[in-house]
Amino acid sequence: MPKVQYINPDQVRKPSQLEFKPIPVNQYNKTIEEEKENFSKEDFLRIFHDMVVIREFETMLNLIKIRGEYNEVKYDHPGPAHLSIGQEAAAVGMAYTLDVEDFIFGSHRSHGEILAKGLSAIDKLSDEQLETIMETHFDGITLAPVKAGHTGTTKELAIKFLLYGTLAEIFARETGFNKGLGGSMHAFFTPFGVYPNNAIVGGSGDISVGAALYKKVNRKPGIVVANIGDASMACGPVWEGLAFATMDQFTELWEGDMKGGLPLIVNIMNNQYGMGGQTCGETMGYSIAARIGAGVNRDQMHAERVDGYNPLAVIDAYKRKKKILEEKRGPVLLDVLTYRYSGHSPSDASSYRSKEEVEAWEKQDSIVWFGSELVRTGIAKKEDLEKIKNDIIEIITSSLKLAIDDEVSPHMDMKKHPNLIGDMMFSNKSMDKMEDRPVEVNHPMEENPRVKQLETKERFAFDENGKPHSKIKTYALRDGIFEAIVDRFYKDPTLIAYGEENRDWGGAFAVYRGLTEALPYHRLFNSPISEASIVGTAIGYAMCGGRVVPEIMYCDFLGRAGDEVFNQLPKWQAMSGNVLKMPVVIRVSVGSKYGAQHSQDWTALAAHIPGLKVVFPVTPYDAKGLMNSALQGTDPVIFFESQRVYDIGEMFHKEGVPAEYYEIPMGEPDIKREGTDITILTVGATLYRALDAAKILEEKYNFSAEVIDARSLVPFNYDLVIESVKKTGRIIISGDASGRGSFLRDLASNITELAFDYLDAPPVVVGSRNWITPAYELEDSFFPQAQWFIDAIHERIVPLEGHVSENDFTEAEQLDRNARGI
Amino acid sequence: MAVPVLMPRQGQSVETCILGQWYKTVGEEVSVGDILFSYETDKASFEEEAKEDGVLLATFFNEGDEVPVLVNVAVIGKKGESIDEFSPGTTLTEDKPEVKVADEAPKVIEFEVEIDPTDMRIRISPLAKNMAEKKGVDIQTLKGSGPHGRIIARDIENAEKIVEQPKVSIAQKSIAPSAPSIVLESGDDFEIKSIPNIRKLIANAMHLSLQNSAQLTHHLSADARQLQRLRKKFKAEFAEGKIKQNITINDLVCFAVIRALEKFPQVNTHYHGDKMKWFNKVHLGLAVDTERGLMVPTLKNADDLSINGLSSQLKELSTAARNGNVNPDLLNPAAATFTVSNLGNYGVEMFTPVINLPQTAILGVCAIIPRPKEIEEGVYGFVPMIGLCSHTIIRRWMAEKQHFSCRNPQPDRKSSV
Repeated sequence: MPKVQYINPDQVRKPSQLEFKPIPVNQYNKTIEEEKENFSKEDFLRIFHDMVVIREFETMLNLIKIRGEYNEVKYDHPGPAHLSIGQEAAAVGMAYTLDVEDFIFGSHRSHGEILAKGLSAIDKLSDEQLETIMETHFDGITLAPVKAGHTGTTKELAIKFLLYGTLAEIFARETGFNKGLGGSMHAFFTPFGVYPNNAIVGGSGDISVGAALYKKVNRKPGIVVANIGDASMACGPVWEGLAFATMDQFTELWEGDMKGGLPLIVNIMNNQYGMGGQTCGETMGYSIAARIGAGVNRDQMHAERVDGYNPLAVIDAYKRKKKILEEKRGPVLLDVLTYRYSGHSPSDASSYRSKEEVEAWEKQDSIVWFGSELVRTGIAKKEDLEKIKNDIIEIITSSLKLAIDDEVSPHMDMKKHPNLIGDMMFSNKSMDKMEDRPVEVNHPMEENPRVKQLETKERFAFDENGKPHSKIKTYALRDGIFEAIVDRFYKDPTLIAYGEENRDWGGAFAVYRGLTEALPYHRLFNSPISEASIVGTAIGYAMCGGRVVPEIMYCDFLGRAGDEVFNQLPKWQAMSGNVLKMPVVIRVSVGSKYGAQHSQDWTALAAHIPGLKVVFPVTPYDAKGLMNSALQGTDPVIFFESQRVYDIGEMFHKEGVPAEYYEIPMGEPDIKREGTDITILTVGATLYRALDAAKILEEKYNFSAEVIDARSLVPFNYDLVIESVKKTGRIIISGDASGRGSFLRDLASNITELAFDYLDAPPVVVGSRNWITPAYELEDSFFPQAQWFIDAIHERIVPLEGHVSENDFTEAEQLDRNARGI
Repeated sequence: MAVPVLMPRQGQSVETCILGQWYKTVGEEVSVGDILFSYETDKASFEEEAKEDGVLLATFFNEGDEVPVLVNVAVIGKKGESIDEFSPGTTLTEDKPEVKVADEAPKVIEFEVEIDPTDMRIRISPLAKNMAEKKGVDIQTLKGSGPHGRIIARDIENAEKIVEQPKVSIAQKSIAPSAPSIVLESGDDFEIKSIPNIRKLIANAMHLSLQNSAQLTHHLSADARQLQRLRKKFKAEFAEGKIKQNITINDLVCFAVIRALEKFPQVNTHYHGDKMKWFNKVHLGLAVDTERGLMVPTLKNADDLSINGLSSQLKELSTAARNGNVNPDLLNPAAATFTVSNLGNYGVEMFTPVINLPQTAILGVCAIIPRPKEIEEGVYGFVPMIGLCSHTIIRRWMAEKQHFSCRNPQPDRKSSV
């Protein structure tokens, strides 16, 4: 909470009442005749054309799905096809006014939006621009099939390119827009301003906010449209996205030209059903989705319901709303009323709606109505429209033929290149900055109070006599993270950081202390307490080309950003066919002392999801080096930190933590103590308890332990560990995560497979108990303690002379605990 | 032409032997005289030497297997020669029923269960297994010191030291000691160690004896003055070179016992439940403490010997027992008619010897202790007395003891050597 904002009790305690402005519903009432002054004949025909393209494209897919045949072309498509027949006017109306640099995000039902926005962009791009785009996309691989034998104009070629690229993507062809890795529900093409559609309902609800944030913070032209369904308005992340998008600080605290709202239109494609659930009257209570705007901010998000069956009504709304965004008064909420005749998917028997209802909407079909109006008002002849339709059928038929031809449009050859997808999981680039321009900072780095303070600190924990320096004088782990981040803020102009209490407070654990002074608001700010939007917006921000460090204050809150961390962040690099990069470093702080919902180590959850890099440094030297690597890279990194060791000094790197920049490569474990009789591999702050155990083992049992700090979980180079096991023949793997299903188990299993012949005992996992984390006073019986290591060695690996176990590490106990699920 | 290596038959009564340890591995060159493997009967351990030069082509049994005697355990020949015909499971004539093999199999299992009631599967860490292979350590004979008796690296390291020892003893043409006892489990105040096979057998025999017969022990002592005089005399003669044999107290006691047995043939017997077997000759069993455990080799026809002959043969016999190369037939309890167990030189004053069934009695001999005795009427003095514990299933041997104590040995009778 910033000090400049004084909460005056006299003011806030005064009686008053909230007043809402009326929310317009279907207020557009112009006739085609009246619109003639705004639209040329070509404009009208283009609108008609684009709607017919979508209709025919979706009809073709519907026929392929239900009959296996379209226009005598047979094909079996086993994948999904969520069609939007009936929604064409809404899609074309939305896209019509958008510029190429305006971005749209979509849902699982977005073929129509992709085509509408693509056609809109093609109309606005010059032939040269189009040629460059088409020729450079995957070096012309997508273009080649349609270019062969093409005789028409560049724009006609571009339309074929759009239809073919989308269809090939839907059919999982390597020539598709995303090499067939996105598919129907994720197809997109960024050069036309089409950003990822999302198979998770409401998935775009917060990602699109991040895209708008990117445009604003980096002063990029254009707006962002989030096309999400009416049913997705029930999703938490959508609300979190709305909360983030409507934060007061944009207008109250952000400074200079940054002052003002986000350039975002939340466009509810309101087809009135969520699968089979009727949002008005059954599954929601808003009756008219535009009502939501009233609850979000003072501007009520300029919410409005628009008749999505009239493309001109939607275009009208977009013209007006774009102006609001240009005035930095966004975001905007549009409730575009529409209807789909097609089922949710081809398997949908429409048991939830009556035949009469579908027929009534079909009678008012937007394409039929718009066509007849064009004829009635003398804009076009019936034959003109017929010709448009027939041409489209022809193009779509030929696109289909091309897209299903295995010669022209092959699937990825996974037999020949078994790692083709694997190689796309990470972009693995090393980039100082995501964009080359001056950084916006408040003062030179050396003038920063924290930076100056760190100059006086001891960068190694002990003095020359081996005595530890006082805590206040010691350069701590939090300083290592700070140094790496502040350095990057002065290198990469796109870098922003946010999370709960990041500004002023400096983060709950003081990592960012000093950053507030260095950075303007738009580069470091407090987010709402809303983890889904913290991560979701970061995804959108990175997707558009920025680098970002969102913070999750406690690891336990990762669940709040479950979809973002598990379904979105890790997937988009590969699902885009490596078109997108995702330089997001999520700082996740693992707690202790605060009980069951504030002390969990969920590294396993992050490590389990393909597409995330996961690190967990616990020394200042490692923390700085790994943060530098994470920030230099272009991949999503879950950067775990432990609240146990924020103030710990560097005890291993004798030269101390270098003041200058250095990187520690991700994936390389590190020997923190050499030994010969057993290897102890730790993940996280358990390292220090393992070192205590090593000391006891040495002194009491003459047993020499080698302690290795994993440092990273994904990637993980086993070489060092295997070498150590070859030497010691024994290994314990430990961390603070609950043992069951932990990454420790994964390490143990891999080590068993990779070093089996060298093992003198099975690798033993010493994890935390599979309980709730108890209060601080009882933590010793939950988290691995030094004594646990010794007991585990004695019981399971090699009996230690004279040792009596305090903790039960017997097999019987292990069996029993597993049998009881604890 | 490849030749088989047979499991030798050490004595008529031996049907099977336990394969101890392979000193050569398959594929290794062997020369005549090389030790191929060690094996154990129920009482002793032996080593089998190669009788052919060549390559060890195959081994058919693992360490710890019970192998019937005169069965092929290995093949020596030239590289590449077929070994199939020598495999004990298969024979040249294909029609031999496989049932025979099947018959033998359960027998092996039965035996192993009996001698090693723990899990038959050897628990061994992959590292230890590799080390054992590399260092040629026989894991079958090892008891692991890891959790659940798992053989771990340190067991191989320890065993390797032991493996090196026999190499020395091989050079000395001596017998390999049986496997060392291994700590199976240890607590803060105890260790559970393995028992060598032979000790298990001894313990079982002792236990069986006590279980299957009603035994009775009598303790008494006899005037040992005459005994000591004779010992002194023989010692002097031995020192002067007059006699070749250093005649010991034990020799003299045995000599006296033989004489007594001639008088009391009812204890020179075997007990067969409803019958008694009476012997005309005295076959004297002598309990010998060896590194491998207690052994009772038999001196056949002991009653035919003079004191010198008896002494000489008893010494030979006990040496053979200690070296483990005594004829197994002589270790059979049925070979002796009576046993003497002398713990006198350990200073034992009283103990309960256990009858070596089917023998009916045993004499335990204790240390000579000066005790008060009426030398002549009214005159008391300290007299060296030898403690005797007779253990018998025959009540009437009481009389014999009394006789013994009164008589004391009179070895002169046959001492003219």
